[in-house]
Amino acid sequence: MSNQTKAGPISFLTELPANIWHSIFRNPLPDSDLGRSATSFTNFFLHIQPVKVHRHSLKLTYTWGLGLISLFLFLILSVTGVLLMFYYVPSTTQAYDRMLDLRGTVAFGIFLRNMHRWAAHGMVAVVFLHMCRVFLTGAYKRPREFNWIIGVGLFLLTMFSSFTGYLLPWDQLAFWAITVGTSIASYAPFVGNDVKFLLLGDTSVGQEALLRFYVLHVAVLPILVTLLIAVHFWRVRKDGGLSRPPEEDEVFPAATPEPVAMAPAAASAVVAVPAPAVKLGEKAQLEKKLYGIQGIVRGPFTKIGNVPDRSVFSWPNLVSLELLVFLITVAGVLIVSLYFNAPLEQPVNIMHPPNPAKAPWYFLGLQEMVSYSAFWGGVGIPTFEVLLLLLVPFLDRKPGGVGKWFARERLLANSLFMTFVILNIVLMIIGIFFRGPNWEFVSPW
Amino acid sequence: MNTRVALAIVALLVLVVHGFVFYQQFFNNWEKHQAAYFEQARSLAKTPAERSAVEGRKPRIEQNIVTQFGDSRVDRCLTCHLAADDPRFDKYAQPLQTHPYSAALGDFQRNGRWERRHKFSDFGCTVCHDGQGRGLETFYAHGEDPFWPDPMLGYVTQADWHSEYKPKLLGAEYMQANCAQCHTEENFPGTPLVSQGRQLFFEKGCYGCHRIEGLSSGTLGPDLSEAGHKFKINYLWEHTVDPRAFSPTSFMPRFDLTDDQIKAIVVFLKSRRGMNFAETSMEKYEAKLHETKPLSTGSAQQIPTASLGETLINQRSCTACHKLGDKDGHIAPDLSFEGLVRDDDWLLAHFKNPRSRVPDSIMPSFGFAESDFTALTTYLVTRKTPPTFKTGEETFKGICARCHGEKGDGKGITYLYLDPAPRDLTKVGFMNSKPMERFLTALKQGVPGTSMPPLEHVLTDQQRQQVLDYVFVTFVKEPRKELKGRKVPEQNPVAMSQESADRGEKMFLDRCTGCHGRKADGKGPNSLDISPRPRNLRNYAFIQNVGDHRLLDSILYGVQGTAMPPWIDYGLSQNDAGDLINFIRSLNHPSRPSAPADKSASLTQP
Repeated sequence: MSNQTKAGPISFLTELPANIWHSIFRNPLPDSDLGRSATSFTNFFLHIQPVKVHRHSLKLTYTWGLGLISLFLFLILSVTGVLLMFYYVPSTTQAYDRMLDLRGTVAFGIFLRNMHRWAAHGMVAVVFLHMCRVFLTGAYKRPREFNWIIGVGLFLLTMFSSFTGYLLPWDQLAFWAITVGTSIASYAPFVGNDVKFLLLGDTSVGQEALLRFYVLHVAVLPILVTLLIAVHFWRVRKDGGLSRPPEEDEVFPAATPEPVAMAPAAASAVVAVPAPAVKLGEKAQLEKKLYGIQGIVRGPFTKIGNVPDRSVFSWPNLVSLELLVFLITVAGVLIVSLYFNAPLEQPVNIMHPPNPAKAPWYFLGLQEMVSYSAFWGGVGIPTFEVLLLLLVPFLDRKPGGVGKWFARERLLANSLFMTFVILNIVLMIIGIFFRGPNWEFVSPW
Repeated sequence: MNTRVALAIVALLVLVVHGFVFYQQFFNNWEKHQAAYFEQARSLAKTPAERSAVEGRKPRIEQNIVTQFGDSRVDRCLTCHLAADDPRFDKYAQPLQTHPYSAALGDFQRNGRWERRHKFSDFGCTVCHDGQGRGLETFYAHGEDPFWPDPMLGYVTQADWHSEYKPKLLGAEYMQANCAQCHTEENFPGTPLVSQGRQLFFEKGCYGCHRIEGLSSGTLGPDLSEAGHKFKINYLWEHTVDPRAFSPTSFMPRFDLTDDQIKAIVVFLKSRRGMNFAETSMEKYEAKLHETKPLSTGSAQQIPTASLGETLINQRSCTACHKLGDKDGHIAPDLSFEGLVRDDDWLLAHFKNPRSRVPDSIMPSFGFAESDFTALTTYLVTRKTPPTFKTGEETFKGICARCHGEKGDGKGITYLYLDPAPRDLTKVGFMNSKPMERFLTALKQGVPGTSMPPLEHVLTDQQRQQVLDYVFVTFVKEPRKELKGRKVPEQNPVAMSQESADRGEKMFLDRCTGCHGRKADGKGPNSLDISPRPRNLRNYAFIQNVGDHRLLDSILYGVQGTAMPPWIDYGLSQNDAGDLINFIRSLNHPSRPSAPADKSASLTQP
């Protein structure tokens, strides 16, 4: 402050733009561990993630970034969705015309709609794959049971979001798919017809259903999904980060860990609060002191102290990987949207049900089952599967096999799961390709 | 390091893809057209004023927002068609061509320059041309997108239109349908096709079956008051040419129409949009109060004479369907000697409601005044000149082939419109299993409740025998074998009673409804697939005319040459059949509403 000549408009102008920049970004781009920690710690968005993250969590071949891709697809959907909301009207008389306008007159209209649709389908698929990854690596076991349940909830919300959005174009494809879907819901005993009426606001799909689905799709479900995602992330941190095999956490590893690749100053980067094993000068020690006690953390993670651990700084390792995954997701959605147009069929004609009338692809496995038994196929078995999913962390209490794909110890659990997955996929494929008019078996060739 | 390299590559990829996307969305065609216009206009500029009008103009979207024609329309056509109001461009190629000026459109000259009556700023473009006003690509703007309900009239055909009719649906004259949205007067000089179409609507008898608000009140076919709003011109054309193309079970006839006539009808129907932009609601209400239906007042003051009847026949377009003298619609029966076939009572009742005499007739109940019907009846009864045929063949070709077909296969020119359909005389199984008396009686007294007329007074006994012989020799061909006598009682073995009819009803519902329908009207779910169609068992005149013996025979032993099976093979006993007959007769009790008031059909067939 002493070298300032005069605080005032002149000095403000002479110090532009640095003064404004520094008022927003309080820390410079880091070149020390202290700096890296500060960057994560003092940024609203970055502080969602831990300052240091275990190296194993960064392995793309472990997670394939599926959770991240789901999140980024959700963000893409939100942004494109809001843009679409500027043009769409949830009215049975106007919706289809608006879709035609989006296609024929709005700048980037076709592209915007394509991005939204393919991101939506992609999100359903990726969320499902993420669930498979978590199961097959045993990452639902203690202490992550509740996070798994939140994840199943998110999966169901994702499918419901996709389902509600499916109706909005108000064309033949939309109308009859939702007619089929809500009819399947009505097969539930006792509450089925009430549930259907609640969803549709009427006994059949019409203006009420369109309005309800619109509100669910743009307001209610995104809020719920955002809430659950927030809790999901919180839980990941409180459960000690992403799951990893127990040997990664061994206190005295057999070999010394290699230095972390990205941070040049990392060789001496172990910092601590209590007595450090590394002898440093006092000034350096003070400089290295990063945080006071934030809280007592139970669990296997926090190894601040005199043990060499395998964690690396989030900035830049995790953040740059996340950026990479984000760019790949965006590139994928963009490329698919460039080449494939979202379908728009004839306007709704309630006198002309298509034969066959098919639910959206992620419900076709269900519809195939329904063709054998309305209750068991549409309500019984799916409810049973969801219940199984929800209860799996409590049914499977064996602690072993976490952090590895297809761990030997978990052969039974993995086999059962894969059986269900493959069965569902097969049923879905049959429903999509092998069923024709009157739900008769047809050859897709 | 690997992450950084991967980041760089993917970031580059995303950048490139964005480039593609932006390229796709920018550099539009319309900008090119506008740039071409500016260049040309600059070179054509002769005065400084003209030059400065073009200098400094940048490409931008030109839109007209028009609100006085119902929903607000946003017409961006001028974006590409920038030269539409620039008279210097009348020789240029589209899209930079001046929109024509013409006195027929109401345009006028002032100070040597043309001025438009229908200015674009007031009317926009789509109210006359249709198309998608907001579109900026040809495919969307012109309505070539098959899902767009209003393609440009006469300029655009859509991909899913039948290729045979596409060339016929092109031509600027189709736009007259849109002129009529405001210019609704009957003979507006600018819309000759609409006037011609309206005339044909009456000349061809369309008014009898279809309702158009303010014009007609037919109830047999769909209401066409908004046909122009609901359907595209390809649907209107194809449906007029071949009604069964879009609606396979339709009984709308195919009328004799030339292409020009069809075009006029299409334009007329397309002009029925259900709204008149030039009218306020008050004006519409006033018009409705003073509305006179063109046909309902009729000639109430005049005495219903035969000559009035003859005039009415021509005025009311009976020959659009029927044959009378040398005029023939090729759809309905020949009335040339109707005075020999039917009497006054029958004709009058048939006029008032055709279905009181022929239950499955497709002739509409015209809403004429009673005196008109009387006049028509009086006239028809005067047609008493019998035809002069010498041989059975001539007789068949002159009278019978109209329904039964030249080949005797029941597919004469009117067969699609008759129910029951004309008998297929080539079905050997049927023809050779019925006694000759039955055919002779059918020829002489007709078959009540059907379109088979009584020819008692039209042909002599000898002529009738001749034509029957001709039929058997030419169509049946196989010699008749001695008919085996079947053990079928002459009378119903079961007395008529409520219990018997109830038992019969139960059996009927179990076994017969698949073909004969739950209402016993012959319209069961299988009826569409079998030929001849199942009998309408509620046809009062027919059932009254058929004796128990024949019903028993048909039920127990089936009807050869048709799909009626021999139920005796399925375990039905004579008493069961008797119950069924009692049930059927109970459906045709004279007190039932469907039975006609008189019982003129009283002779029973053996």
